[in-house]
Amino acid sequence: MSRLTYVEALVAGIRDEMRRDPDVFFMGQDVGPMGGAMGGAMGLYQEFGPRRVRDTPISESAMVGAAVGAALVGKRPIVEISFGEFLPTCMNQIVLQAANLHYMTAGVASVPLVLRTRIGDGPYRGHPQCYEAWFAHVPGLRVVMPSTPQDAKGMMVAAIRDPNPVLFFEHMFLYHAVRDDVPEGDYTTPLDRAFVRREGRDVTVAATGWMVHRALSVAEGLAGEGIEVEVVDLAALAPLDRATLTESVKKTARLVVAHEAWKVGGFGAEVASEVAETCFYDLDAPIVRVGAPQAPVPVSKPLRDLFLPNEGDVLAAVRRVLAA
Amino acid sequence: MGSFYGLREDDVIAAHYRGPFIAYYMRGADLSRLVGQALGKATGYAQGRALGFTGPVERHILPWVAGDLGTSLGVAVGAALGLQYEGSERVAVVTFGDGTSNRGDFHEAVNLAAVWKLPVVFVCQHNQYSISLHASQVLAGGSVAARAAGYGIPGLAVDGNDVLAVQGAVGAAVGRARGGEGPSLIEALTYRLGGHWAADPGGYRREAELQEWRARDPIPRLEGALRAAGEVDQGAVERLWEGARAEVAAAVSAAQAAPEPDVAALGLDEALAR
Repeated sequence: MSRLTYVEALVAGIRDEMRRDPDVFFMGQDVGPMGGAMGGAMGLYQEFGPRRVRDTPISESAMVGAAVGAALVGKRPIVEISFGEFLPTCMNQIVLQAANLHYMTAGVASVPLVLRTRIGDGPYRGHPQCYEAWFAHVPGLRVVMPSTPQDAKGMMVAAIRDPNPVLFFEHMFLYHAVRDDVPEGDYTTPLDRAFVRREGRDVTVAATGWMVHRALSVAEGLAGEGIEVEVVDLAALAPLDRATLTESVKKTARLVVAHEAWKVGGFGAEVASEVAETCFYDLDAPIVRVGAPQAPVPVSKPLRDLFLPNEGDVLAAVRRVLAA
Repeated sequence: MGSFYGLREDDVIAAHYRGPFIAYYMRGADLSRLVGQALGKATGYAQGRALGFTGPVERHILPWVAGDLGTSLGVAVGAALGLQYEGSERVAVVTFGDGTSNRGDFHEAVNLAAVWKLPVVFVCQHNQYSISLHASQVLAGGSVAARAAGYGIPGLAVDGNDVLAVQGAVGAAVGRARGGEGPSLIEALTYRLGGHWAADPGGYRREAELQEWRARDPIPRLEGALRAAGEVDQGAVERLWEGARAEVAAAVSAAQAAPEPDVAALGLDEALAR
């Protein structure tokens, strides 16, 4: 074990796989000597050099296309799109090329690539918007969002080894905010599992990213009142681990879904629909969703704090489903 | 045809959706399966799952699966990156239309290939029309080849209806790429004699223009060139035509008789690879 932050764990995962597999290489803007945005590529260039850690021009579509093409000839590229807000610039490559290739070639081609990107509110407040739901909608992609340092490493290693295009969403607030024990050496986390982070019998909170930590904090507080909250970290959005989700709801009979992205059309809508479709009669209360209001994410700190869903919103949602 | 003739069998090819079957055929694809693919039959290489433009991927063909124009350039650049990464002498050749040269993807791909000196050859099949729009309405500067100068790579305009000229230009660019000298851009000026799609009467073109380009049909021109060089005589040309017509007719019959894809080809659990 070593004590690593979330971002250190991400880099450790990439580094371990690059040491293990010579076909793995990494490209992105400023990932070379600068060490990547927010230290996201720290030390990689120094260890692996310019052939395997490649600084790119500001050409997101060509970067993702380059990853697709390199994957098609047998390489295992990792391409970094500095921030999730830039994903619209390479949408065609992701949804028309990477996602379609395996199925549309009748299973002959495969596209083992990792597209890592940063989302959410963070210490610098730039590029906060969360577009993960768009990609969870498209078949042929894996979409993951680790919330702990262990999973940051374990899911990165698993993503690099996976034969599919994996969209890897890294939450910027978590980058330097959490430090935890991370296994050294060969360590993977499954890319299609949700994780019960805290067991409880009274209400399920299914959350992603930073909201997992807020839900855990709310659960801690409510335990003092004798209310036991079960916190499910969705971790993998596509494919979603529907079994773990519904098993939890069947036990607690109440569900809150929480994410930082906009509530309207957000991934929480899929989670709520799944539960409504498969265990409606197990529910004792209507499902409540927590997400951002329907406006662009404002920049100034006071506005941002008013705008984004927070612990208070999760707490209020939990009380609402308990009161119903 | 000139763009893909004379490559190594393991060079990577990415053919534009207009006319890719000739490239795949030259790579050893089964003609009846190609026709079957155009008809959406179970025997097609995509088993009915994709537009008819893709081919046998295992023959180093980058599959055409996207519904857009331009992303194939980035993917071809990526294949070239993979080849350069492994220290191979293999190259990638990608063809595209004049309309595609107005996509941002074209510029991003050429720039990336140029800064990394990737072994890729960009060949523009400049047929002068983006569906109904003539290049003079939509292509600033009037030349695709001239755009190469902005990226510091060779840009060459050739007569796209002269098969041997195209093959000569592409061959030289391939040699350059194989030698580690980086990408080139070739603009092959041609003309789309038919409509954009089967039912398009192409009424936006002038009859005089159509007649002028019919007279430049590359197939009789190649035939004439080969005869003039003493490579073939009249009898050999006729036998080639007969053989080709019979082969195509047999392929079409076989494809028409082939089964439609059924639920087994639907493969709903195959969106992700295992």
